[in-house]
Amino acid sequence: MKLLETTWNHQSELAIFCRTGRYNPIPGVNEKHVSQYRQLVYNVVDDTLQSAFPLTHHLLTPKEWDGLVNDFFSSHPCQSPQIWTMPKELWAWVANKRSPLLKKYPFLDELLWFEWLEIELFMMEDKTTACKPEGNLKKDKLVLNPEHHLKHFTYPVHLKNAKYITPSDKGHYFLMMHREKVTGKVNFTNLSPFLARMLEILSEKPFTFKELIEQTSTEFEVATDQQLEEDVIQFLDNSVRSGLISGFQ
Amino acid sequence: MVGIGFRKDFAEEFLNSSVLQPSFIEAAPENWIGVGGYWKKLLMQALEKYPLFVHGLSLSIGSPDPLDFDFLRKIKSFLKETQALVYSEHLSYAKCDNAHLYDLLPIPFTYDAVDHVSERIQQVQDLLQQKIAIEIVSYYTPVAPEMTELEFINAVLKKSGSDLLLDVNNVYVNSFNHHYDPYKFIDGLSVENVSYIHMAGHLKIADDLIIDTHGEAIIDPVYKLFEYTMDKLKKDVPVLLERDFNIPDLADLQQEIRQLAQIKKTALKQKSYETA
Ligand SMILES: [Fe+2]
Repeated sequence: MKLLETTWNHQSELAIFCRTGRYNPIPGVNEKHVSQYRQLVYNVVDDTLQSAFPLTHHLLTPKEWDGLVNDFFSSHPCQSPQIWTMPKELWAWVANKRSPLLKKYPFLDELLWFEWLEIELFMMEDKTTACKPEGNLKKDKLVLNPEHHLKHFTYPVHLKNAKYITPSDKGHYFLMMHREKVTGKVNFTNLSPFLARMLEILSEKPFTFKELIEQTSTEFEVATDQQLEEDVIQFLDNSVRSGLISGFQ
Repeated sequence: MVGIGFRKDFAEEFLNSSVLQPSFIEAAPENWIGVGGYWKKLLMQALEKYPLFVHGLSLSIGSPDPLDFDFLRKIKSFLKETQALVYSEHLSYAKCDNAHLYDLLPIPFTYDAVDHVSERIQQVQDLLQQKIAIEIVSYYTPVAPEMTELEFINAVLKKSGSDLLLDVNNVYVNSFNHHYDPYKFIDGLSVENVSYIHMAGHLKIADDLIIDTHGEAIIDPVYKLFEYTMDKLKKDVPVLLERDFNIPDLADLQQEIRQLAQIKKTALKQKSYETA
């Protein structure tokens, strides 16, 4: 390391100022103009977080939001060299730090997670899978779109305006998000526990409709009657149309 | 050749019309590495039409922190995958105390920083197995300087052997903010290292301060300085129009591209240099 400790310290002081807004005099610095750096850095971080988390930004009061951004950015060293993935670090920080905001909004970590997952899915690298676009829904093996997230939430962050979520909403919610191949858009499907488990099975490898319904019914200890079969076929048919099922094998 | 910064803000409109006609595009690897789906498709479409210059943001070449070799390896693959013609970075730091800051901070103009930065540029060049171009950044305050900005830049170029990405707007902005003559600065610069030029607009936010926003059109004094720079250069180099915010009609951007190309053409006519 050829850098002297004094130079290092001066660089560190400027960086600390950008992260916290607390300025410790540095020799040679124009004290009037140095504030631009704090503002530029803060604005970039704030803008990035606001556009990543529009629902959370809308939910929190301006004071709560600013407090959150400030606490996060000043106490957490951001690790990602790619700013678009930095919002994930806010979610992890809130979830791990058990932010005091969670007292007022017990679903806050899930709301952030939900918002981040949409970005992650929209941006994720392309995954391809071998399958035929046409096939027989009742006989062929079905291939799940690999560009998906299947998640379990304890609050209905994907169903309700966050302002109206209360502790009494606590329960089990299953959400499937998938990316459409052609448009790249993210689709959301709210699932029953039965369908969620069925899709989880399908995410492991391709299965036929019969295999899927049998395995899931056995696990859930329910009888496979005609109604259930019809409902599942209907769901799978919609899933082919929406691109959640990529095709057939 | 005159290129344009490839921005998501206008990528779709750009690719679906023929209004904007750059000779190449420039993109930040940070915005595209690990990205698929919709944006990847647009980037691929763009790459079918235009050669790519890659301009990094977060390598933090002037940081006291260790270089991020994992990220550098990703950049290397990205350069290969996109067949990029150039990789450039900033003469600044964007990470310190193990924390990314997502902005370009000024390196203290000190002797030890010259050694430190130059060594790191060489490490980057060694890993990438190619020369990089290093950009002069706008800065709003000096930090504990032992020499002038010009001396610092020349010393780094000499020691590291890297190319110089000369951002003419940044020279203008810095000359205004730090009260020096931008023409003398260009005169004093090691111009033989210049391999690439950036041009952009800026914003005057106070009587004594200009911020390098890339959100406005290029102003006449910056065109003039560009003209002067082109006359000084003993070679043709690619020029980029940077426009990151406040995006106008693409026709307005094309007009700026045309003006830059015209200035270049005139300057080069006077001398018989090969064209880039
Ligand atoms: Fe630039």
